Amino acid sequence: MVADEILRTHLQELRRGTVVVASLVALRRPDYGYALLQRLTGHGFPVDANTLYPLLRRLEEQGLLTSEWNTEESRPRKFYRTSDEGESLLRRLLDDLAAVQTSLTSLIEGAER
Amino acid sequence: MSSLTDRYLAATLRTVPAARRAEIETELRGSIEDMIDGRRADGRDADTAEREVLTELGNPAQLAARYADRRLQLIGPTYYLAWERLMKLLLSFVPATVGIIVGLLEATDGKNPGGAVGAGVATAMEVAVQIAFWVTLVFAVLERTNTSLNLPAWSVDQLPEVQANRQITLVDVTAAIGWLVLVIAYLPIQHFHSFVPAGGDDNLPILDPALWSFWLPFLIAVLVATIGLEIAKYRAGRWTWPLVAVNAVLDLAFAVPVVWLMSTDRLLNPDFVDRFEWLGREENLNTVATIVVAGTVLVVVWDIVDSAIKAYRNRH
Repeated sequence: MVADEILRTHLQELRRGTVVVASLVALRRPDYGYALLQRLTGHGFPVDANTLYPLLRRLEEQGLLTSEWNTEESRPRKFYRTSDEGESLLRRLLDDLAAVQTSLTSLIEGAER
Repeated sequence: MSSLTDRYLAATLRTVPAARRAEIETELRGSIEDMIDGRRADGRDADTAEREVLTELGNPAQLAARYADRRLQLIGPTYYLAWERLMKLLLSFVPATVGIIVGLLEATDGKNPGGAVGAGVATAMEVAVQIAFWVTLVFAVLERTNTSLNLPAWSVDQLPEVQANRQITLVDVTAAIGWLVLVIAYLPIQHFHSFVPAGGDDNLPILDPALWSFWLPFLIAVLVATIGLEIAKYRAGRWTWPLVAVNAVLDLAFAVPVVWLMSTDRLLNPDFVDRFEWLGREENLNTVATIVVAGTVLVVVWDIVDSAIKAYRNRH
């Protein structure tokens, strides 16, 4: 029971930063909050609604996302899209993620020797 | 009756900055409706879906804090250690010092010597609560406003000399020396200004002025030597047998004269005793003497045993 709790906290820590990366990648194609949530979940990034919605606004304030209201459908929806600035930050983040993966792989292989 | 969603939105938006409220409301309402639609597509009825969605979004105050990027803590890691240190430092001596001073003033005021201890303790507690409140408030405000304290960064030079097994901490020694200085200062002060109404402009010392010929200077010398012992104790970092011996000698050098003078009715100023009808009665004076003697003996025995136990624990 304690082990479950520990596992949960560590997984949470591990996943925390990836929500931003995943959102920036996903929003290369514009989308609104709920649809993005569905897409991320569908791709194996389960994220809480109460984390994602405020996060989108924060990323927008930081200039990493741009937004546009779409009022053509039944209810008005705010569509977010990764900005140029967001794109360049995303590349840095993806590079770093790849570097982490590489380091981890070399560490694992080194340990097996 | 407004719907649960309306109530949820109102509760969330109340603490979101007004400038962004309308936009967040439209967006959040849309998101909630999208989520409800999603659940209804899975076959839930409207009410259940709404309840589930709002439950999933959680406490509105927390959601609002996330929107506003607000901290959900009174004092965070940036300030906690500084808060803790300041709190310990102030609480270690301020309440006790103020309590003692108030108690002494009350005792020498002459109107209510019996209530002096109570007044001192009550004041000390009040001061402690006030310190805790105001220090915490200031740090909570710093946390909210994100003010930089410009505290010097920690460096290895701050490491205490003897990290392991330090029995005697700086706080303890500072407090002890503070006490000793207060007592030393009090002995002459009570002679010139005891706050006891003596009639006219004269002052009525509490302790017998005849003692100034030898015993009071002797007691002051013992107290000064005790300050030296406190410093030696701190430098050693722990109780050693020589320190225990010196401590015992100094304790006895102070306690034996006090006990002897008190039991032979030579400690208190006879004029002071006469001044109070209650104290002037033989049996009451004896009670006070017994309490002083018993208290002194208890403190001395406890102090000597305590130092010996600590020294014994340090054996290798």
